[in-house]
Amino acid sequence: MMKPITTALACLALLAFVSSAEAASGKLTLYTSMLEADANHTVQAFEKANPGVTMSWTRGGSTEILNRLRAEYAAGGAQADVVLLADALSLEALKADHRLMPDPDAPVGSLAKALYDPDLTYFGTKIITTGIAYNTGAPMKPASWKDLLKPEAKGRVTLPSPLYSGAASLFLAAMKAQPGFGLDYFEKLKANGAVATKANGAVLTAVAGGEKLYGIIVDYMPLREALKGAPVAFAFPVEGVSTITEPVAILSGTKNAEAAKAFVSFVLSRAGQELALEEGFYPADSSLGPPKGFPSLKGVKLLGFDGAKALKDVQSNNMAFADLFGG
Amino acid sequence: MRAALGARRRRFGDRFGEPLLIALLLALVLAVAALPMARLLLEGFLPGGSADLAVARRVLSAPVTWRAAGNSLALSAGATLVALAIGTPAALLVALTDLRGKAALVFCFLLPMMIPAQIATIAWIALVGPGSALLKALDLAPPPGTGNPLYSSLGIMLVMGVEHSAVVFLTLRAGARSLPGDAIEAAEVAGASRAALFARIILPLLTPSLAAGCVLAFVSSLGNFGVPALLGIPAGIITLPTLIYQRLAGFGPAVLSDVAVLSLLTGAIAGSGLALQSWILSRRSVRPVRVGARPHPLALGGWRLPAELACWSLLAIILLLPLLALVATSLVRAYGLPLNSDTMTFAQYRTVFGFDATARAFRNSLLLAGGAALLLGFASVPFGYVLAWRGSRLLRLAALLAELPYALPGLVVAIAAILTFLKPLPLLGISIYGTLWIIFVAYVARFFSLALRPVLAAYASLNRSLEEAAEIAGAGLFDRLRRVILPLIAPVAVAGGLLVFLTALNELTVSILLWSSGRETLGVIVYSLQEGGSAPLAASVSVLAILVILALMLAASALARRLPAGTLPWQA
Repeated sequence: MMKPITTALACLALLAFVSSAEAASGKLTLYTSMLEADANHTVQAFEKANPGVTMSWTRGGSTEILNRLRAEYAAGGAQADVVLLADALSLEALKADHRLMPDPDAPVGSLAKALYDPDLTYFGTKIITTGIAYNTGAPMKPASWKDLLKPEAKGRVTLPSPLYSGAASLFLAAMKAQPGFGLDYFEKLKANGAVATKANGAVLTAVAGGEKLYGIIVDYMPLREALKGAPVAFAFPVEGVSTITEPVAILSGTKNAEAAKAFVSFVLSRAGQELALEEGFYPADSSLGPPKGFPSLKGVKLLGFDGAKALKDVQSNNMAFADLFGG
Repeated sequence: MRAALGARRRRFGDRFGEPLLIALLLALVLAVAALPMARLLLEGFLPGGSADLAVARRVLSAPVTWRAAGNSLALSAGATLVALAIGTPAALLVALTDLRGKAALVFCFLLPMMIPAQIATIAWIALVGPGSALLKALDLAPPPGTGNPLYSSLGIMLVMGVEHSAVVFLTLRAGARSLPGDAIEAAEVAGASRAALFARIILPLLTPSLAAGCVLAFVSSLGNFGVPALLGIPAGIITLPTLIYQRLAGFGPAVLSDVAVLSLLTGAIAGSGLALQSWILSRRSVRPVRVGARPHPLALGGWRLPAELACWSLLAIILLLPLLALVATSLVRAYGLPLNSDTMTFAQYRTVFGFDATARAFRNSLLLAGGAALLLGFASVPFGYVLAWRGSRLLRLAALLAELPYALPGLVVAIAAILTFLKPLPLLGISIYGTLWIIFVAYVARFFSLALRPVLAAYASLNRSLEEAAEIAGAGLFDRLRRVILPLIAPVAVAGGLLVFLTALNELTVSILLWSSGRETLGVIVYSLQEGGSAPLAASVSVLAILVILALMLAASALARRLPAGTLPWQA
């Protein structure tokens, strides 16, 4: 009974979006942690749907982008209008500094409540899990996080650094909160010869190239490369996976709120969500997906944690990680 | 009427020309070099405007600082040894013997200097290790899980050593070419064996060049960001440049005072290296007296062919193989696959051309490198004039300050630029942080001496009588500069500008710390593609960048007939 109503609401929201899109024009700048190809794809699709808007984008790890924004604020103001970063923690950090503008018109009808900020400042666009990638030539198929501590994996594990990656930052927070894991788990990883690289992309390169056999990484990178024939596979560990939602948000200093809102509406719209599906992501809209070649997320356990505490701990977690892995 | 105008202009030039030029020079040096360096020193010792050594003490007592400093020292020393091992024999063979194909050899031995560190590193990664598309295609790749041996201290030393071997080669070749031919001939006539000739005559005379090459290779390695970032970070080996980069990327402007201290530490290490060099130079007992002509080439006899083969085999290993592997990686569908008819694709190149960001990076780097080259190329003529022929203590100090940003590691210049230009400029009220201008200013500071040095050398070898004749005939300063000096100096200034252009085009160390949205440089885009996991894309941008560099070098060589000998470093 609820379903048709939400669909109707979504249609209304879409209509509202279509009418507002006609008005959107001018320049728009996006800072994002999406890969170059995905960022390019998304921006081009948005520009096609909103011919009046010229959009430019910059890519970097979420943590890197946050610090770039901090530097820009110190220099007199951010150059970005919208951000699309890896995880809600990064957005919460911006929100706490009053850098986000609420968007009450965002079409959230198709999103689960947990995927967006109740104050409507940021909105999850995808569901990305962090699990284990392995080289198909590896002797062991990892099924548990604890498999990475086994002797077979000694010196053959790599993981992304939370100093660059929002997904890694959230993974660190989630693991820290799990009974039986905690920061201890990372100390054991280090003791087993695991090395931290920069962000997830470096993990992919190391595992696909066979320089390392196992990597802690976001799902879509190995799954997509596997489709292209690269010698990698992805496992959802039995204890569960941490998830990020790649939220989109408007920065309160934007000079083009109209176009920024059009962008938010676009990525949350059916068309935007289908685009995410096509690129090879689990879309935030649960009625869509999974993408071609990806397993269903049904039955995959999620690692829960206290978001507010995680936000408070980000800097100290990162420092602890930096001290441990030297990065 | 025209004569009157001309006379007025002449009077203006006579009275104000020189002070004006000197003021301009001092203003430029002050703005781009002296002020930022002073600001950096201030931040290290007086953060927030009050004398407070707490930050300096905290940074200098952190174990990670000394781990990074220790790594930087050890890796740079190792790289210097590798650079010496490659550069010394190559330079001596090319400069002193009757080897054939010298022009091509010089060009190739200097290429590592022209190919930027991040691209060379990506090429080496693509060559060695289990993921190599080239090795996999030849069925030579090690099995998965063996790890890439380059991600180690030894790997960093090797790649950095190859990169900086060109500096040793260049310095030593210049030294060997200015050896007194008479001394060598006299020894030969007196019946000295080749070994004795080498040990007793050539080596002692070359000590200054060797010391200079050593220090240059060491200081360049110390400031190198591309190699330790790509090879060291995955192996947990941290150096001063990567520590500074990681701290800024991971913790933002909150740690600006900390990184200021770190870059001062880097500068101090580089500075002591340079001081050591001048100490060695001042101590040497043998002072070569340039007598007579250049030494005639020593006949290698039966050793000529083996020597030639050795040179070319070495070049094949350090240059050709990595570049082939780079091309192979740029053509493969997904990283980790062997290159064969199934997996080969031009899709990466199509993607590269479809990216706004790559096109923009090419445009930005062309603008920055072109702008810096034009400005410095033009400015070097009048500035060289006052520096070379109007020596005063103030001007000598200015020349020294202009050298500083080039001699010190690039990250020092970048951090100084951030500190100076992050806050809005006084009076104007706008901040150039986040625009191309901050990179431009840093480039002008960093590459000033690159353009100025050849011009100063040209002035030193120029006979002043022509200019003096023009002065006596009543030509004003600007007339003399334009009609007498420019035609003589222009080719050298063009070559200096070209060197600036080639160096700036693929610069990474400065721009990785200064870039912002839409202001990515070519070096930054290659680095972030590789780090983002798009190794094949990074490889294709690198291949394109190398093609641009080669085209420019060859174009410059075509122009070389009109240049004085030795203007282009790769000129035979």
